Amino acid sequence: MDSLIRENHARVTRRQLFGHGVSGVGLAALASLLGRDAAAAQPGLPGLPHVAGKADRMIYLWQGGGPSHLDLYDPKPTLEKYRLQDLPESVRGTTRLSTMTANYKKWPILPSVKPYKKWGKSGLEISTLLPHIGSIADEICLVRSMNTEAVNHAPGVTFFLTGSQIPGRPSLGAWLAYGLGAEADNLPAFVVMTSSDKARSCGQLFYDYYWGSGFLPSKYQGTRFRASGDPVPYLANPNGVSRESRRDLLNGIQELNQEHLKQYGDPEIDTRIAQYEMAFQMQSSVPGLLDFRDEPKDVLESYGPQVHEPGTYARHCLIARRLIERGTRYVQLMHSGWDQHSNLFSHFETQCRDTDQPSAALVKDLKRLGLLDKTLVVWGGEFGRTPFGQGPADKPNGRDHFGRAFSLWMAGGGVKKGHAHGETDEFAWNIVKDRVHVHDHQATILNLLGIDHQRLTFRHQGRQYRLTDVHGEVVKGVIA
Amino acid sequence: MARLIGLFSFLLVGNSFADAAPPISYGRDIRPILSDNCFFCHGQDPNQRKADIRFDTRQGQKESGAIVPGKPEKSELLTRILSHEAGQQMPPPKSNRKLTDQQKSLIKQWITEGAEFEDHWAFQTPERPKLPDVAGVTNPIDRFIRSKLKDRGLAPSPPADKTNLIRRVTLDLIGLPPSPEEIDAFLKDNSPNAYEKLLDRLFASPHYGERMALPWLDAARYADSNGFQQDGDTFQWVWRDWVVRALNTNMPFDQFTVEQLAGDLLPNATRDQKIASAFNRNHMVNGEGGAIPEEQRFVILFDRVDTTATNWLGLTVACAQCHDHKYDPITQKDYYSLLAAFNNVSESGVAGRQSSKMRVSPPFIDAPSPEHQAINDSYEKLITGLKSALAEKRSLWERNVASEKTSAPDEIRKLLLMTAKSAPKDRNAKITAYFEEKVEPKLVAELKAAEKERTEFRNDEWPKVMIMADDRPRETHILDRGEYLKKKEPVTFATPEFLPPLPKDAPKNRLGFARWLVSAEHPLTARVAVNRAWQTFMGQGLVKTSEDFGVQSQRPIHRDLIDWLAVEFRESGWDMKKLNRLIVSSATYRQSSRVTQEHLAHDPENQYYARFPRMRLPAMILRDVALAASGLLVQKIGGKPVYPYQPEGIWETLAITKERDFTYPKSHGKDLYRRSLYTFWRRTVGPANLFDASSRQVCKVKSSVTNTPLHALTTLNDTTWAESARVLAERIITQSSSNDERITNVMRRILSRPPTEREQTIIKAMLTRQTDFFRKDPKAAQAAVAVGEWPVNQKLDAVELAVWTQICLAIFNLDEALTRE
Repeated sequence: MDSLIRENHARVTRRQLFGHGVSGVGLAALASLLGRDAAAAQPGLPGLPHVAGKADRMIYLWQGGGPSHLDLYDPKPTLEKYRLQDLPESVRGTTRLSTMTANYKKWPILPSVKPYKKWGKSGLEISTLLPHIGSIADEICLVRSMNTEAVNHAPGVTFFLTGSQIPGRPSLGAWLAYGLGAEADNLPAFVVMTSSDKARSCGQLFYDYYWGSGFLPSKYQGTRFRASGDPVPYLANPNGVSRESRRDLLNGIQELNQEHLKQYGDPEIDTRIAQYEMAFQMQSSVPGLLDFRDEPKDVLESYGPQVHEPGTYARHCLIARRLIERGTRYVQLMHSGWDQHSNLFSHFETQCRDTDQPSAALVKDLKRLGLLDKTLVVWGGEFGRTPFGQGPADKPNGRDHFGRAFSLWMAGGGVKKGHAHGETDEFAWNIVKDRVHVHDHQATILNLLGIDHQRLTFRHQGRQYRLTDVHGEVVKGVIA
Repeated sequence: MARLIGLFSFLLVGNSFADAAPPISYGRDIRPILSDNCFFCHGQDPNQRKADIRFDTRQGQKESGAIVPGKPEKSELLTRILSHEAGQQMPPPKSNRKLTDQQKSLIKQWITEGAEFEDHWAFQTPERPKLPDVAGVTNPIDRFIRSKLKDRGLAPSPPADKTNLIRRVTLDLIGLPPSPEEIDAFLKDNSPNAYEKLLDRLFASPHYGERMALPWLDAARYADSNGFQQDGDTFQWVWRDWVVRALNTNMPFDQFTVEQLAGDLLPNATRDQKIASAFNRNHMVNGEGGAIPEEQRFVILFDRVDTTATNWLGLTVACAQCHDHKYDPITQKDYYSLLAAFNNVSESGVAGRQSSKMRVSPPFIDAPSPEHQAINDSYEKLITGLKSALAEKRSLWERNVASEKTSAPDEIRKLLLMTAKSAPKDRNAKITAYFEEKVEPKLVAELKAAEKERTEFRNDEWPKVMIMADDRPRETHILDRGEYLKKKEPVTFATPEFLPPLPKDAPKNRLGFARWLVSAEHPLTARVAVNRAWQTFMGQGLVKTSEDFGVQSQRPIHRDLIDWLAVEFRESGWDMKKLNRLIVSSATYRQSSRVTQEHLAHDPENQYYARFPRMRLPAMILRDVALAASGLLVQKIGGKPVYPYQPEGIWETLAITKERDFTYPKSHGKDLYRRSLYTFWRRTVGPANLFDASSRQVCKVKSSVTNTPLHALTTLNDTTWAESARVLAERIITQSSSNDERITNVMRRILSRPPTEREQTIIKAMLTRQTDFFRKDPKAAQAAVAVGEWPVNQKLDAVELAVWTQICLAIFNLDEALTRE
């Protein structure tokens, strides 16, 4: 609550500086007077950035379900010779597995389903299932040594996005909105969009605590744009109410509020007035955001044909770029369908196809607009998948959850280009070089955005909480 | 001289520390500095402790040798914090902790004055402080508040005017606006006890329990589903109704405590007492495929311990899950000894399954209402009737077939005529199959349909409340780093050592624990409870960190008041209505909320209560106000949750689950207009229009009030408000044909007061302009009034109704309407 009090002080002080109450000022002047620090547009915390960071905004391309590292980003050609052999116990160790495979008698090794290729000047090896991401290999920094303790989806996602496996802590986006504030007056600072593969193959849900504010004030929680109805709840006026009539009604409301301010003198009434102005602006800025008519044809095409279908990953990628362009601080785009327990040979390829092109198009598009340097893009999910196969031991058709070692990539925002960080053993099971734990990943993201993860704290229940709990080290090896 | 420097630094910092004038107090001035900056490495946790020095205890400070009372120059503690040398400076620069110059001089002053140690105030049993002498006030609360105000040179505000007061106290006690009739009655009543009579009425209202339940439901992380994948629905609403009833009947807080924490363990526990214990089964349950049940069981256990500790002890024990608490004297052993009391429940950690919709895990009890019982009985009657009719028809048919009065295939007839001995095993099955398929297919179908319905009723409607039960004793261990697979030594139930001991004859279980919480010598329970009551009425607690009374908590300015209230509360027999009444009867509560330049200059945060704090109403109450003002509100108390208006596709993220249909089952008719408290709370996606509410995922004891444009969009555009505005417009149009009167009526129904002249003028201008808009576009007017399911009064002119609908909507959205002032 401290920051609320501080904001309140700021308002009061400014009013005193101006030497008069707000009541004498016209509405337009009022909006500009209050515009940047009330309601939607929030100032960041004083003292930020803590560290020099290139990025000031971010897009998380969340790949829900646990994309298979072995099949996409972490080539293990020598595994072919062990095909369907039992994974050696010396490698397997005491790794905690989900209840789906923990009681297996045999863990048959399953090499990657498709070949890899060296891409670009960097020669980064990425699966041929992802040709578009391959085409931006020279822009990305691949991390092949991710590690998490989580065994199942919800705890795994919660861990990545809030720093704890148990729901209730503020999410990454809430911390960013709290720390860095908002740039846009008329758009939320933190936007979430969710989508799933068409087959709805994995049934993984996206819960609102993945973008919740936890114990931070609730204004820092993410706003989820919905695919049907109003993108933002209650954005449209009630039926029959035109924009002009609403504008006029709001003028009346504001006039009455100013009357009341004269009587009561509570600076909170100022905030209310600004809040209603902002709401009115949002009613036009959000629909404008979603109207793609101003996009060049080739740009639209680059995201693939699904860009025109509401609720698709492709469309959300383009909206993410448009949001970032307009000053939204953080976009969390969540797509499910990576949970290949039994459909590795059927559905996996479709999943790759649906996400490959839009992900790459987004990075290219940001670059085209000169936004990539200050925008951090992260592509990844809650864990990887087991190098052994799930299903019949002689004919496995899937892979189980695997958090011990997996991959993700980052682009823009001051990370190395065409670079691979960390290594796993020949079975893609154990990390042999440069382990990056979830908390390290979070510390690194914050660092790239100019935040010292140990200093972005909020006092709750008598202690200073932070995204990385009491852990996390910045991974210098991924920073350019 | 040192003292002078200390004083000077106070002046520099401004008035926020002016009350910290000498002599220095360890608890108020020094412990917070040491706790924040030193205890992490020099506190209670031996694993973190550096150089074997601790400053959190009297003995530790003494043994450290770093503090020489009266001799700051010989005290290494001071030397180190003043140092800028690497390796010397404390706290080390790496720690991200830094003392301000003012804090340094405070520590110096403290040592100079003798380095007196004090135990943490909230851990000492409260004693009733002497009431300050203040002329002209009788309510003890006012005597404490006025005395501090006087010290600060601040004056209390004049009493709020009567209309303002009745709106304030009605919203606070029953969560609804006063009706114009109630306002008139109060305004007309000039007797000296008019306010007392008003309070009598409000405290006796059945809506009192509904209002008072709201913060408790947040604290109890109550919801109507389990959360996570599948997000199965539950019947925990039966517990919610228990809470409302308990509050309405003014159940003493000690009983309220014991029944919710251990109702199941009371001798001859009643069904209601068992239902009360559902408090600790309101947690989330992870039903994901692949989830490890024992891991999830521990997640639940941790949540249960944290929620209980936060609610009653005001302590954040979660830290001690992994290690000894860094700040408070709670060891890891204390934590698991406490957890042992909650570890004997026969739950498995997974969500049980009643049907694709309902997921209730054992232990649970059936809790049918008389209505459920009646429905069940009629199913039984119907099914028994159908069965006996079928049996009768069967025997008649058999006789007829045997006597060849009725024809049947030879095979069937032969089977029928056989004696039991010679008949093949499947004789009866074959006859039955023939009879059911060919002879009485209709009746059989009816029976099957009735049985199916009954099964659905028993699965989906018949309440099964998850409750506590010590029906599976387990050994509890300390867990290394809180990891469920890493068991260390076993522990048995015990209360934390730094708190009063469990009485010798107390049962060593949850019941003993619950009774111990409300024992006379307990330092925390009463303080925590009165602080939360204060928070409900005054916006924030006397201890602002209402979730934490530990050494890191904010030290209350009005410590005497909180102690006095705590003792009073306990000695009154834990009388909740009496406590609330004491607060709302005080002049402090009844004063005006107008904010003056002086307030802003000297007490912007209103810590001294020179004015009543204005507060935006919780969204749940805002919705109820809209429904009540329009007359749409259905005042039925309790029952299963309802599904009022939500945006299209509210649960669309859940639709990914194939197991069940997650289309929002919107209510119709009366259920659209029930109080917000009864809105179905899906844990994965909360109701969209109840903004700023707790997510009901984990315990939350402090409400959050923020202002975002999304909130404004909700109260401007949600069908709930738009429909309420339209129905209110119909009402005031039919009541009077005069615009002046109509405006007055709207204002009185929403704001409880008539408009000022200036407001009349502004609203009339709005009327004119809105009329212009809708006259030009009568179709828009038709559309605007067609909002919601409540039938439109067709006798009214659509343009006029649309215009007044807009006016009503505007008044709902005034700052004053959104605020309790």
